[in-house]
Amino acid sequence: MSSPVRSSLVAALVVASALLSLAGCGISAESGGSAYRGAKLAPAIPRPSFTLTDTHGQPFDFRAKTDSTVTLLFFGYLNCPDVCPVHMTNIAAVMRNLPFEVTRRVRVVFVTTDPARDTPDKLQAWLSNFDPSFIGLRGTLEQVKDIEKSVHVAPAVADAPDSSGNYQVGHAAQVIAFTPDDSAHVVYPFGTRQADWMHDLPLLARVK
Amino acid sequence: MNVQWWCSARGIPWKWHWQPYPGVWIAVLALAAAYARWAKPVGDGTRQHEVSTARRIGGWAGIALVWMTLDWPGGPLGTGYLASVHAAQFLVLAMLAPPLLLRGVDPARVRAMIDRNGAAARIIRLTTKPLLAMLAFTIVMLVTHAPDVVDVLMRSQLGAFALDLAWFVSGLAFWWPVVIDAPVREHFGPPMRMLYLFAGTQAHLYLAMWLLLADLPVYGIFELAPRITSLSALEDQQVAGGLLLTLGGTYVLAVISVVFFRWFAEPQTEPSDFRNVT
Repeated sequence: MSSPVRSSLVAALVVASALLSLAGCGISAESGGSAYRGAKLAPAIPRPSFTLTDTHGQPFDFRAKTDSTVTLLFFGYLNCPDVCPVHMTNIAAVMRNLPFEVTRRVRVVFVTTDPARDTPDKLQAWLSNFDPSFIGLRGTLEQVKDIEKSVHVAPAVADAPDSSGNYQVGHAAQVIAFTPDDSAHVVYPFGTRQADWMHDLPLLARVK
Repeated sequence: MNVQWWCSARGIPWKWHWQPYPGVWIAVLALAAAYARWAKPVGDGTRQHEVSTARRIGGWAGIALVWMTLDWPGGPLGTGYLASVHAAQFLVLAMLAPPLLLRGVDPARVRAMIDRNGAAARIIRLTTKPLLAMLAFTIVMLVTHAPDVVDVLMRSQLGAFALDLAWFVSGLAFWWPVVIDAPVREHFGPPMRMLYLFAGTQAHLYLAMWLLLADLPVYGIFELAPRITSLSALEDQQVAGGLLLTLGGTYVLAVISVVFFRWFAEPQTEPSDFRNVT
């Protein structure tokens, strides 16, 4: 074999093994975006810093407590008849089927947009129905609106109460996925299937 | 009130508030009128019924089942919320109602229609050829349970209507050669009928197993629907598969057994009789 041919072959092998090692060791947030089934965000949203109260009444520093994890952030409320329970059900169902190696890196954070009705106890009980590891957070409506603004989500709006005092809260339907690089590159709108989560969560966990 | 003509997936939370579905009523009334006409003895009205009262009542029970399956609450539940109710709808529309209705019609009226050899007779001759009917039934069953087809069709009233109609019409064609002896098919005796029923329902047993064993919900329409029971979408899907497998399988086995025992009880032509004739 001639020397130029041999050196080309060696170069090709080096490139191929470099690509293979990249595929095996993790994917970059930039190159991995197109592989997701969720909707890609451009530009990415940095992981926000805020502190709300968890269901045990303790302050929860979102940035510190979820640092370097896959964090699925969702804004909703317990009386939500459709979007919230379907998202939570689907994420919980997939978490039960994924390997521990993936799920140990995933946090699901539910911020209530209806703190008046969603008491800590109710919030904890409701989330535990899906998965006891899900984290419920409460704050004032102003705090929640500021957080929604910081992650580019439309602020929740409560409808006028009906004759029996019940009301619905219009809120964003997407789950924002922050990756271990502390940015959100992808969001999951309503309509995301369990198969989509099953596909994307392991990928999200590998983003460096 | 926002009137829906046919049950289709609406994506809104389920409420136990009655909803009118005029399209369902019209379809069921048309079916009842057609059945009443075909169950009536042919002639001047003085001729006795060839079919028993029980069979004619069975036919009306078939109409009632179709109505209950399509109208509120079964219709909307099966179209937009629960895969298990959807499976029950399939069993009724394709497997149960067609033979009940066909058993209740007057055979003399059917024979007269076939003998006239008009357009309807030609269509029936063609579509109820056992091989063709079995293939059509299997294809309709497989296509109408494909996730992409279900998720697209059930979002619109017309699509959901097409799905229900496909089940019912292909069910009528499939059950016709088993239940009705016109046109006469000399080579389609009880053994062939048993084989036909077995082969024609194999695909739905595989479909049932697929629903039962899938790791994830296969239909987006049910997975993303607001939950109305404590069952998850996957558990509901497993119930659907279980219904198809147990109820559907047992039912087909029961029908095959009836065909077998009736055949067994029939007086057989003795070889000696044959020799006497020749």
